[in-house]
Amino acid sequence: MVACAKRGDEDAFRELLRRYERPVFALLYRMVRDRAQAEDLAQETFVKILNGIRSYRPEFKFSSWVFKIANNAAIDHLRRRGLDTISLHGAPDATTPERIAATTLQLPDRRETPLEELEARELGSAIERAIGRLRPEYRSCILLRHVEGHSYEEIADMLELPLGTVKTYIHRARNELRVYLEDRFDETRQAGGS
Amino acid sequence: MKPGKPADRSVGTMKEPHLTPDEIVLWAEGLLPAVRALHLAQCAECFVPAERERVLFVQLSRLEHLAPSRGFAERVMERVRIPTPSGGHERR
Repeated sequence: MVACAKRGDEDAFRELLRRYERPVFALLYRMVRDRAQAEDLAQETFVKILNGIRSYRPEFKFSSWVFKIANNAAIDHLRRRGLDTISLHGAPDATTPERIAATTLQLPDRRETPLEELEARELGSAIERAIGRLRPEYRSCILLRHVEGHSYEEIADMLELPLGTVKTYIHRARNELRVYLEDRFDETRQAGGS
Repeated sequence: MKPGKPADRSVGTMKEPHLTPDEIVLWAEGLLPAVRALHLAQCAECFVPAERERVLFVQLSRLEHLAPSRGFAERVMERVRIPTPSGGHERR
């Protein structure tokens, strides 16, 4: 299929897109947790993949190449967004009331838009919220392992991390997920019992 | 075992040694050989963390399938340049 795409077969392009659009979008959506931004990033990812198909080297697994590009797009986006973030509680270095007020996000009292309602429904389960709380590196690893089913070795190749680091990230991510979910379960049980 | 002495995770109280963390993950994934999995039926110390791991794996496997909005593929294909045999690109 990839060889056909390299030769300029438009049907092969469409088939590659059909095979990967859902998993790539799902990874990006869970990474950035914003549907519209995930679609933009997915579109950029596929344009980059398909326009650069001739640079793909067959010694790598094609899916690894695809997810590597998608994950890089997500991490770059999160870094950019991190720089623009205004805290709910003011910037960490804000020491005066004026500076705290200037760097605090003011949340308007408003209803959710249909898109926000859809996002709340899609990413609103406890496990999705737990994933959203992980550090981006942990989140990439856990999604690539447990949602996309890649091996530790493939993830190490994709993320350009040592194999041991990938194993550590996944182990820590699972621990954090478990603790978060068990805490929520305890809270629910206590609320039900009181 | 003397009081205060840390438990040796490599040796169980039964004949079989306790499961290692890697074996617990394998069990949660359904990949642990049955001969080792039998240990869980005899050892609560291994069963509790293994069951917690299994529950997490089940939750991860049940994550919703997410898809982009309709027309996504067409929007991508509008921006794709198909390679031509001569090495150039054909603008769609």
